[in-house]
Amino acid sequence: MDIKINNLTHRYKPGTPFERLALKDVNLSVPSGCFLAVIGHTGSGKSTLIQHLNGLLKPSEGTIQVGDLTIAANEKKKQLKALRKRVGIVFQYPEHQLFDETVEKDVMFGPMNFGESEEAARKTAREMVKLVGLPDEVLQKSPFDLSGGQMRRVAIAGVLAMQPDVLILDEPTAGLDPKGRKEIMDLFRALHDQRNMTTILVTHSMEDAAYYADRIVVMDKGATYLEGTPSQIFEKRDELQAVGLDVPETVQFLLKWQELTKQSVKLSSFTIEETAKAIAADFRKGGPSC
Amino acid sequence: MLDNVIIGQYIPGRSVIHKMDPRAKLLSIFLYIIIVFLANNWLTYALLGIFAVVSVLSSQVSLRYIYKGLKPIFLIVIFTFILHILMTKQGEVIYGLGWLKIYEGGLKQGVFISLRLVYLVVITSLLTLTTTPIDITDGLEYLLAPFKKIKLPVHEFALMMSISLRFIPTLLQETEKIMKAQMARGAEFTAGPVKERVKAFVPLLVPLFISSFKRAEDLALAMEARGYRGGEGRTRLRILEWKLRDTAALLILLALAAVLFVFRTH
Repeated sequence: MDIKINNLTHRYKPGTPFERLALKDVNLSVPSGCFLAVIGHTGSGKSTLIQHLNGLLKPSEGTIQVGDLTIAANEKKKQLKALRKRVGIVFQYPEHQLFDETVEKDVMFGPMNFGESEEAARKTAREMVKLVGLPDEVLQKSPFDLSGGQMRRVAIAGVLAMQPDVLILDEPTAGLDPKGRKEIMDLFRALHDQRNMTTILVTHSMEDAAYYADRIVVMDKGATYLEGTPSQIFEKRDELQAVGLDVPETVQFLLKWQELTKQSVKLSSFTIEETAKAIAADFRKGGPSC
Repeated sequence: MLDNVIIGQYIPGRSVIHKMDPRAKLLSIFLYIIIVFLANNWLTYALLGIFAVVSVLSSQVSLRYIYKGLKPIFLIVIFTFILHILMTKQGEVIYGLGWLKIYEGGLKQGVFISLRLVYLVVITSLLTLTTTPIDITDGLEYLLAPFKKIKLPVHEFALMMSISLRFIPTLLQETEKIMKAQMARGAEFTAGPVKERVKAFVPLLVPLFISSFKRAEDLALAMEARGYRGGEGRTRLRILEWKLRDTAALLILLALAAVLFVFRTH
């Protein structure tokens, strides 16, 4: 589902001493099937931007187009609900939204709100819990008896159960251990590829943005600062550092390598494996003189 | 969404009211609350009103902000107004429609009581709008210190108060966050029949309770870890200073009280 953001401006608490311009004149288009990463420093407007995409915030100025739905300032409620069915958001620390007696009921909450029958919702719930890598036994457990990582997965299943066309992830791996991070991110990438979804990932991790995204948008002070493919973005180290960001660890490593060996190494991917290969190839070519 | 709630929200500023000693502010407000009940005719209510307006203006807090704070109590004000108009049967009948008769006394009483409510809310919200929670508690602790003699846990009470005040905005933020998360899952909080709407609050309240308990536990742990043991022998970083303007404020209020006493209908 194509997403188009036109001249989006958002003000928080207009007309009070706390008024703050959170987004100014943002233009962005995300083609269907794209895996987009939004990176930026804290307070750069990332979260504000994504909340517009499913109508939790309404634009102060400008419009948002998701498929054939257009949201402008003062949009009607009905339109918003249709939008929310299409666009699922996994918020930061999504386990804080769990509330029901059993995992099954909690996962069914979303689909039933959008008018699915109890039977169908139950079936979806089972599927989704399996999809996020949890055993069937947890279905009848209370979500509050699970571990933090499992709760996170249940909450993610709760969003996936609505079967959105667009999935928005707001730092989905914050507070997880490295293994959990990788598993969850791999899951999102696999889902993205299988279901032909459009995915928008908000993250602080340059590594995640580099490995998983097709395109990257860098936000700064409520405006888009850079936009491009990961290779294009991570060539611009100085520009990134100017807004408090940096390149992924693998790129940092390669740059250091180049500096020490005075040889240029071409980077095609950002995974540790690819970096290791690039350096190995460099070695075979003659390697460093030291 | 929840932007209307101004309880416990401090608006930074440099006005006279902001700079006043919290003890003076607390005493003045205490006094004001008492003398509001002295007023019983147009003149005395007008005087109280002028005082409230002058205080608000000199605090430089935007009027819109005060109005927003008043919004939630409008319903109560209207309700009391209607009750008084219908229930008080004094003076002449000024309007009659069948069994429904409105008396002059009822109208008067209705206006007075509504004004009283508005005054109280304006003046007390002015306190929280212009005073940081920590100042309020420091002031309260100081004012209540004599009660320590009779073994009242004044310090603990003040601490409890400052913690609750401190966490009102946090709790509101948390509420908004969870509301958004559930709305993203298709929940609706503002539409549908009353029964449905009440049910819709379960997905909001359960996570809110859980996170509040967790937060309370964390806070207790953090305080213990830093060796917190209550008020005994604690020194202060911020020492309250009583200035001339604080005495002046109290004198103004005492004068107001005297004037009200003279002009009220006996």
